[in-house]
Amino acid sequence: MTIYLFIEQIINGLIIGSTYALIGSGIALIYGTMRVLNLAHGEFYMLGGYFVFYLAVTMGLAPWIAIPTAVFGAFLLGMAIQRTTIHFLFGREGWMFSTIAATLGLSIFLQNAALLLFGEQFQTVPYYVSGVVELGQVRIPAQRILIFAVSMATIGVMTYVLKYTRLGWAIRATSQDRDAAAVVGIPAERIYMITFGIAAALGAIAAAMLAPIYSINPWSGLPILLKGFVVVILGGLGSFPGAIAGGLILGVVEAVGVQVTSSEWRDVISFGLMIAVIWWRPWGLFGQKPS
Amino acid sequence: MPEAPMLQVENLDVFYGSYQVLWDVSLDVTNGEVVAVLGPNGSGKSTVLKAIMGLVPIRAGRVIFEGSDLTRVPTHEMVAHGISMVLERRRLFTNMTVRENILLGAYHKSVASQTKDRLEWVESLFPILAERRDQIAGKMSGGEQQMVAIARSLMSKPRLLLMDEPYLGLAPKIVDQIVQIIRKINGEGIAVLFNEQNVKLSFGVSNQGYLLEGGRMVLSGTGDEMMNSDVVRRVYLGV
Repeated sequence: MTIYLFIEQIINGLIIGSTYALIGSGIALIYGTMRVLNLAHGEFYMLGGYFVFYLAVTMGLAPWIAIPTAVFGAFLLGMAIQRTTIHFLFGREGWMFSTIAATLGLSIFLQNAALLLFGEQFQTVPYYVSGVVELGQVRIPAQRILIFAVSMATIGVMTYVLKYTRLGWAIRATSQDRDAAAVVGIPAERIYMITFGIAAALGAIAAAMLAPIYSINPWSGLPILLKGFVVVILGGLGSFPGAIAGGLILGVVEAVGVQVTSSEWRDVISFGLMIAVIWWRPWGLFGQKPS
Repeated sequence: MPEAPMLQVENLDVFYGSYQVLWDVSLDVTNGEVVAVLGPNGSGKSTVLKAIMGLVPIRAGRVIFEGSDLTRVPTHEMVAHGISMVLERRRLFTNMTVRENILLGAYHKSVASQTKDRLEWVESLFPILAERRDQIAGKMSGGEQQMVAIARSLMSKPRLLLMDEPYLGLAPKIVDQIVQIIRKINGEGIAVLFNEQNVKLSFGVSNQGYLLEGGRMVLSGTGDEMMNSDVVRRVYLGV
């Protein structure tokens, strides 16, 4: 393996890793705020992909209109799903298990709904941008650079929102102490709904960016959910910055690992990494050791 | 005719699941007063304050504040009605800075526009919190954290402040400081309703007290009346 190939793999890893980060941060946001493990998160990604496909391909809208519309649609869908399912279970006896069961059921329901509505054929979206960028010996398709740019910009916006906006403060406060947040006037119920919407939107952005590379089908959410779990375990369950770092690390480890071994080893590498982290640092690479 | 009390709690019944913890509890807080809810561990003192604030559901009874019925008002709307609360064991947003914690006290729309004035006022009451503004709240000592929690609760400039076990887990020297702070808050014209186990300690600052036993109100009166009461002695010493 030449040094250029190695560099190329690292760059590719960071690019795919940035989309893993989007997926993981959605799971982390929901878990961090509500302590709900959302097993239907992959379906947010899958539906986001279909939204983009229908707007950009079937309706022929320009990507810069189709993608934001699809993301907004996913945001609304995420809120509606929270309000009609989790909302009624949350805080009741046994909610930690009932919400897991509910999101698992939701995942199966949404997969089959997608199968019914969109059929079982695999769909793809054409590249948003063409061309190849050459940096010396390293060649990267412009499409992949766009993926990285959009993902990192999204992460930047989310970091800003969480740190500096009224909504972000409310999300952080609610995630740390629901009662204390309610006492100062933060409506936890609304924050939970918005958090679900944001998580779904993050999944849809990842789907929009990956749609030209990976195909969209009713089952495309499951592998993404599993990747998301690896990411949040690497980063520390419930930690937003941890999920970002975890996503990038997973992307690079997978890309380099596959280069060194072969592509059948991809999942072995990522789950091996996850098991190692659970064994060595169960609170995640960036999480805090519980005292 | 004496004016109606600012807060009237009437005949509260509260359940945790199917387990009843408060029976027919009533109490009044007059404008500008400091009132203590007393009682041994597990007597339901905290539940009374939580029920007023809407943190636990009220099965029966009413909470009237300044003439309006707040029984079913959700917790996050209480600050808009002029009631704020310091939760038991501070309950700060421990990963956030002192300043962020305090600013969150003015989150509600009804007070958000006055954030700047309120912050000035609160920091004039607790100058040390202005110095420590960038410290992570969770890394402070218990007493300092209690100060942040109180400052946060004052940001909405409440007319009534509920304090759930304000002295719990604090060293005696710090307890004295908190007593001074409660006096200071009261000096600003804010009524305070707090709960505490220690009867003597409570009347260091309050004029009026209520005694709970096993979820029922068994006695009320002024400090002198309560300190010399046989009921208090029986509840605490079992004689």
